[in-house]
Amino acid sequence: MEKEELKKAIYQLIEQSAGKKKYKQADLIKHFRQQGISDADTKAAIRELIDAGDLIYTYFGGSYIELGEKRKGA
Amino acid sequence: MTKKYDTPLLDELEKGPFPSFVTEMKKAAAKNAMAADELGQLEKSFRDKVTYWKHGGIVGVRGYGGGVIGRYSQLADEFPGVAHFHTVRVNQPSGLFYTSETMKFFCDLWDKYGSGLTNFHGSTGDIIFLGTVTDNLEPLATILSMNGFDLGGSGSAMRTPSCCVGPARCEWSMIDTLDITYDLTQEFQDELHRPQFPYKFKIKTVGCPVDCNASIARADLSIIGTWKGPIAIDQDKVKDYAKKGMNIQEEIVNFCPGKCITWDGNTLTINNSDCLHCMHCITKLAGALKPTPPFGAVILIGAKAPFVIGATLSWVIVPFMEMKPPYQEIKDLIRNMWDWWNEYGKNRERIGELILRRGMREFLEVCGLEPTPEMVKEPRNDPFWFWTEEDLEKKPWEEYLK
Repeated sequence: MEKEELKKAIYQLIEQSAGKKKYKQADLIKHFRQQGISDADTKAAIRELIDAGDLIYTYFGGSYIELGEKRKGA
Repeated sequence: MTKKYDTPLLDELEKGPFPSFVTEMKKAAAKNAMAADELGQLEKSFRDKVTYWKHGGIVGVRGYGGGVIGRYSQLADEFPGVAHFHTVRVNQPSGLFYTSETMKFFCDLWDKYGSGLTNFHGSTGDIIFLGTVTDNLEPLATILSMNGFDLGGSGSAMRTPSCCVGPARCEWSMIDTLDITYDLTQEFQDELHRPQFPYKFKIKTVGCPVDCNASIARADLSIIGTWKGPIAIDQDKVKDYAKKGMNIQEEIVNFCPGKCITWDGNTLTINNSDCLHCMHCITKLAGALKPTPPFGAVILIGAKAPFVIGATLSWVIVPFMEMKPPYQEIKDLIRNMWDWWNEYGKNRERIGELILRRGMREFLEVCGLEPTPEMVKEPRNDPFWFWTEEDLEKKPWEEYLK
């Protein structure tokens, strides 16, 4: 999977699970590992999404990755 | 002019001989509305016996998953100055050394962007800036960065590593705690700023077993300086201590946990092979006894107070590791244990808890460590032996049959 494609897939997973399930970075890595994506590739894609502000880290008793738009409501 | 509140309950905390945080907060409250409202809310909390803080959430600096702890007041209408009152953690310099200029920089910065209230230092070791609003976070982080400082760790991340003053000021330091801490901080920037673990992970480095940073009680990974050579004894100085009134038998010999010291009134003898390296004798007889090279570190894992099983001290996983730049051995070990923890750790499960749940044997296997006697916390008290297929292939009973 190309990096941009992977980024899109990660974003969509977070988007679709918003309000239902919170993902940690390790959860995302395990999820995409099952699709044959290396841990390093998933990690790098998450990093780019976070740096771009598309996704953000949140803290609710533990650190999670959620949609970036949420920050506007902080 | 800031708002003033009557604070009869907080005033009680100013009485007595000790410095009071209330006094300092009142000074800040005289010129800062946030600090004034914080004082008012705290008094109300004391009166009602309720905390009015909400904590956590989605506040932070772009690209960072830690360093800011979101805090909001439930009484924003009554105390508008603390509607947002976020805590900012800043990575402290190794050993907590500052110039006066740096301290003034921090104080001016926080007067401008926050409540003016600080905490040097938090229990993790960071510089703590208490109370700011969301809009100030980005400019604050930028200014800190331009001046050579960075945010610290929070959340499910590696927390800001900390250490004792080490060789900078201490004669007993057997490793360069300052350099190790700085090096590990640089090496693990990603793990520090981008939370990716099941829970927090703390690394604390101390130069000797006196453990001035309490790493054995407060760190998931403790790096404690130690030695391998015999303890050097200056018999004349030992006798000086005795002449000056020290009871060597009672204060030194009887306190030795390894029972390896003898004193005949004239000569102190140490059986180094039985020494447990607690450093009691060395610290009590300062100048008369000292450790000798080779120097290195003992690596321990798994301490934390609110453990599932109660307060837990860390336990030994590497009895002696050389600690020379670039510290590759400890870095590799840390990465191995993180991989395992990330794979099997439950949410909010510390690595020590995972070891308890899945077993030290598995932990040692994934870390590539051989079991050694130093790892035994206490002798087992059940009669069962557990053998793996690999163990049986080695026919260990043959050793006993001989």
